[in-house]
Amino acid sequence: MSDDQSSTVGPVVIEADSIVKRFGGAVALDGVSVSVRAGEIYALVGENGAGKSTLMRILAGILAPTEGTVLVDGRPLEGGTRAALDAGIALVHQELSLVPEMTVAENIMLGAFPTRGGAISRKEMQRYAGAALEEIGVAIDLDEPVSRLSVSLRQFIEIARAVARKPRVLILDEPTATLTPAETDYLLEMLQRLARGGLAIVYISHRLPEIFAICERVTVLRDGRHIDTADIADTTPDVLVDKMVGRELKQDLGVVRESNPGDVVLSARGITAPKVRGIDLDVRAGEIVGLGGLVGAGRSELVRAMLGVDPRTGGDVTVVVDGQVRRVGSYTSAVRHGIAFVPEERRQDGLALSMSVSDNIALPNRRSISRAGVTSPARQQAFASTLADTVGLRPPNVKRDSGDYSGGNQQKVVIAKWLGLRPRVIVLDEPTRGVDVGAKAEIHRLVRELADEGTAVLVISSDLPELLDLSDVIHVVRDGQIAGTLARDEADERSVMSLAAGESMVTSS
Amino acid sequence: MSTPHGINFGEAPARTRVDQLRRTLGRRTEGRAVALLAVVLVVALVMEPLVFSAYPVTLSRVALVGLVALGLTVVILMGELDLSVASTVVLAGVMMAQTDNVALGVLLALGTGVAVGLVNAFFVVKVGINSFIATLGMLFVLKGLAIVISRSEPIPLENITFAIQFGLPIVGPLTPRIVIFVLAFVLLHLFLTRMRAGREFYAVGGNRQAARDAGIPVDRRLVTGFVMCSVIAAGAGAIDTLERTAADPTAGSTVLLSSFAAAIIGGVALTGGRGSILGTLIGAFSLGTLEVGLTLTGVQVDIQQIYIGGVLLLAVMTDPASLRAARSSLRTSLHGVRARSTDRGLT
Amino acid sequence: MNQLAESPTVAAPTAAEPRADGPSIAAKALLWAAERGIVVFTVVLILASVLFVDGFASAVNVADVFHRAAPIGIVAVGMTFVVISGNYLDLSVVAQVATGAVILIGVSNSHSIPIAILVALAVSVVYGLVNGVAVGYFKANAVIVTLSTTYIGLGLLRWLSGGSIFFGPRDGTIESFGDIKLGAVPISAIVLVVVALVLGFLLSRTNFGFVVRAFGSNKEATRLSGVNTPVVVLGAFLITSFAATIAGFVLAAYSNTAVSSMSDGYDFGALAAIIIGGTSVFGGKGSVLRTVLGVVFVSVLTNVLVLSGVGFGWQQVAIGSLIVLAVSVDALARKVSKK
Repeated sequence: MSDDQSSTVGPVVIEADSIVKRFGGAVALDGVSVSVRAGEIYALVGENGAGKSTLMRILAGILAPTEGTVLVDGRPLEGGTRAALDAGIALVHQELSLVPEMTVAENIMLGAFPTRGGAISRKEMQRYAGAALEEIGVAIDLDEPVSRLSVSLRQFIEIARAVARKPRVLILDEPTATLTPAETDYLLEMLQRLARGGLAIVYISHRLPEIFAICERVTVLRDGRHIDTADIADTTPDVLVDKMVGRELKQDLGVVRESNPGDVVLSARGITAPKVRGIDLDVRAGEIVGLGGLVGAGRSELVRAMLGVDPRTGGDVTVVVDGQVRRVGSYTSAVRHGIAFVPEERRQDGLALSMSVSDNIALPNRRSISRAGVTSPARQQAFASTLADTVGLRPPNVKRDSGDYSGGNQQKVVIAKWLGLRPRVIVLDEPTRGVDVGAKAEIHRLVRELADEGTAVLVISSDLPELLDLSDVIHVVRDGQIAGTLARDEADERSVMSLAAGESMVTSS
Repeated sequence: MSTPHGINFGEAPARTRVDQLRRTLGRRTEGRAVALLAVVLVVALVMEPLVFSAYPVTLSRVALVGLVALGLTVVILMGELDLSVASTVVLAGVMMAQTDNVALGVLLALGTGVAVGLVNAFFVVKVGINSFIATLGMLFVLKGLAIVISRSEPIPLENITFAIQFGLPIVGPLTPRIVIFVLAFVLLHLFLTRMRAGREFYAVGGNRQAARDAGIPVDRRLVTGFVMCSVIAAGAGAIDTLERTAADPTAGSTVLLSSFAAAIIGGVALTGGRGSILGTLIGAFSLGTLEVGLTLTGVQVDIQQIYIGGVLLLAVMTDPASLRAARSSLRTSLHGVRARSTDRGLT
Repeated sequence: MNQLAESPTVAAPTAAEPRADGPSIAAKALLWAAERGIVVFTVVLILASVLFVDGFASAVNVADVFHRAAPIGIVAVGMTFVVISGNYLDLSVVAQVATGAVILIGVSNSHSIPIAILVALAVSVVYGLVNGVAVGYFKANAVIVTLSTTYIGLGLLRWLSGGSIFFGPRDGTIESFGDIKLGAVPISAIVLVVVALVLGFLLSRTNFGFVVRAFGSNKEATRLSGVNTPVVVLGAFLITSFAATIAGFVLAAYSNTAVSSMSDGYDFGALAAIIIGGTSVFGGKGSVLRTVLGVVFVSVLTNVLVLSGVGFGWQQVAIGSLIVLAVSVDALARKVSKK
């Protein structure tokens, strides 16, 4: 954004020229062109399914375009991943692409092990990998297997791998999704430093503030089509969102819900588990309790241990069922007592993607749909259709495999399957991560409606505006403990972050 | 530890020797295999010390089961399976007996191995079907071919003098089979730990998409792995045939299961990317010593099977991950019962 | 296995429908063959055999086909539960079938038939429990677990039976049961049909079957839906064990003899029928009907080969090729329809 940055922008390094990509009959990209210059950070934005990831994969040679060409320095890029790597294009994936049982050094040098006389040269490997880590300013034991490292550290190793190849183009797909705000700041700073060194960077993110902080230009994709390319200086977040969504978005921020909390329904005392160090927590009927904190602070671990999804080492959890206090000893008992859980990894843990939406919705409700253990397809169909309508599934075809739907719609299915049980408590872990803007608003509406009907709601979110917007009260978790509790009127981004990061971090934000 | 930028990143690099050693050991996968071997050796020492003086027998027993297991390990490390190894052993043996020239026979046998590996790899890599099924199909096909070619009868080798010679020790107690086994072990160990291609097998098994994205020629590695496995199995078939002085088309029924057992006990994970050739060697040693020990104590073959099955079952069930899983699922079930009974009591 | 991660986000159905050109004819044919092919292929094979193979349609031959298909068919129908639950297979059926047969005949001789049946069923429960607890509760790999129980089971059986052949009781109850026929249909085939109907209903139309299929599709999502998943796996193994023991009874009644080696090859043989029927070894997809079709197809084909003078070796080659072919068609269909 500042003048000295734009002055370092050099010639076009990589260019996508009228790219069309079809999968079977479906058109993923329809004549998209972008060109990125050396020293520039270039943003790609769009809702899920807009074609960002497909374009990124085409730029990196993983997919071949159906029509159109990718040009590097004006020459067409052909020959898949290998050619793209040779041309200096490095990709940092959204899904972590590390080999868990290999060491840090091996992962950084993956595919480019230095050899001497046919054998791997350990010394060279250590040297190169160490240099790459140094370049991004991260210190870690090179011989540690990656499986033992935290998720955010893995993200940095991923970047170190890209940097180790001395790339000319660096493509990052949602690199901050798993990072804490401090780590995010660090990453953004690092990217700016790399760009100043002449690297062309393609940056894909849902988080508009990041884009406005570091990018020079932005391209908006929608439904596989190129909608607009603009200089960041000439646009605003609101304009971008309108272009991404392509319709007037009902602004849901700032809607204050009339909350009317009742009695405590879910109560946890002294919960301990790996990464959780003695937490007490109450959730009342009709109340939305938010759990804030940095990624890795132990929020997911806390709720998973509370519900018995993962084993807990200590503590007690009770739920009030029709006036009776019941212990939650295991996850199955939690579900039986009317606790619903929407997990963080929706594709892996939330849905059976190869089963129909109808089957997925029926799964927790099978007892009420069946008679004497015998299922009825017609009854199941009707049951699932009603719930799919309630959550606004689009298209509302419950016979389709749930894997055919976009992330936002899949999340609606996960919520729908619990609605049939009329849960007393619903726990949502990052309910809108990677979900497009439209679906996000609908999911927020559903959560509010549940609370209005008297359901006790517990939400984990790393998306601060979402957390502030939804929660009646926010507990901030730091280092496996509750660092502080903020009522709706005292909570803002600053107060949550300072609690989340602890004293030492307040100055840096 | 803290970087200059104030972000908290994982553990510090190991500073002391002891620290380093502890970490290195923590990263090994052969732990349980070593423990089992130790138990077997100690029990043998107490119950039947003869096992140690009969080490040539043990060695050849280990080499018998172990050779195929070494090849199988390579495929399992890549996250694939080869159920056709036993049939490959048999077919290669039959092919070898088709000629009276031993050298030509060995070449035929190894050639069969190469062909089998290529066919397996073709279905896995090109057609894109799971290796479990592709090699299950090949299990039937190769067995069938062995029966067709041999007309269901054992084929004696023409050059019987060489075959008899082959079964005798060449250096000390070392028969050619043992020497070949040791050679195969050393070469594979070096290949998988020191060579670029071998090390990349772990990436293929540990995270295939990552390997592809990093530019590793995954398909080529898979072909290499399947061919290596089949060639080793074929080599084992040739050795069997030489030692028996005949090719037996109905032999080898336990080869698949026991070589599997050796790799699994050795800590090779069926999910791929985790384990080592050394582990398989130790696994094969444990099983071999157990079998020989039991035989020497006069235990019937049938009862030996019970022991081996028990050891294998114990090995998978005492895996730390298995124990954790068992604890949490038992808790679930117990709470389920308790919760249900209180529900009933109240309603 | 990582195909999901590979598939692009384009899968949003709104984008897919309006501009779809539809898959090519070849892709459609492959998809059809993968989905429904087994029904047609089985019917065509039977028709062609009746018309062109001498002696196929004779009563004696038909009864023989049924006799051969029934025991392994019963095993395969039971094992379908383990396969669909995403646990590959139960290798120990070999030991279980033989154990069932040996106990039926052996204990009938020394005690009585009802006691024999009870003992055999009790043993099958033990098998189901050991396999099911190790795989379901300890999350151990099913291939290794059932391999271990095969070793243990066959070892015990051979040791206790001394590997000898048992002949049925003199009063001939078992033998006459084995000889019952409805027209050309022997009792063994009737047992297969009954077992298939019961287990088919269990798999496709009950909550238990539903959770077995769901578990095979996605283990963690099923658990997080509140299903007590270890019990589901245990149930799948118990059903397989039960079916294997029934198969042992049928096998023993047919010949009125039992020996520990009588069910060699039933492990992969049953799996072959399941796969050829079109059930996925990765779990989730498949049905009992498919397995029955797979068994019929393999049995008729084998019979036709025998009648045509083709030896055992080539029969094995044919079965192996069929396995690979069945799955290749499926894989290619998916590949073509994706592109």
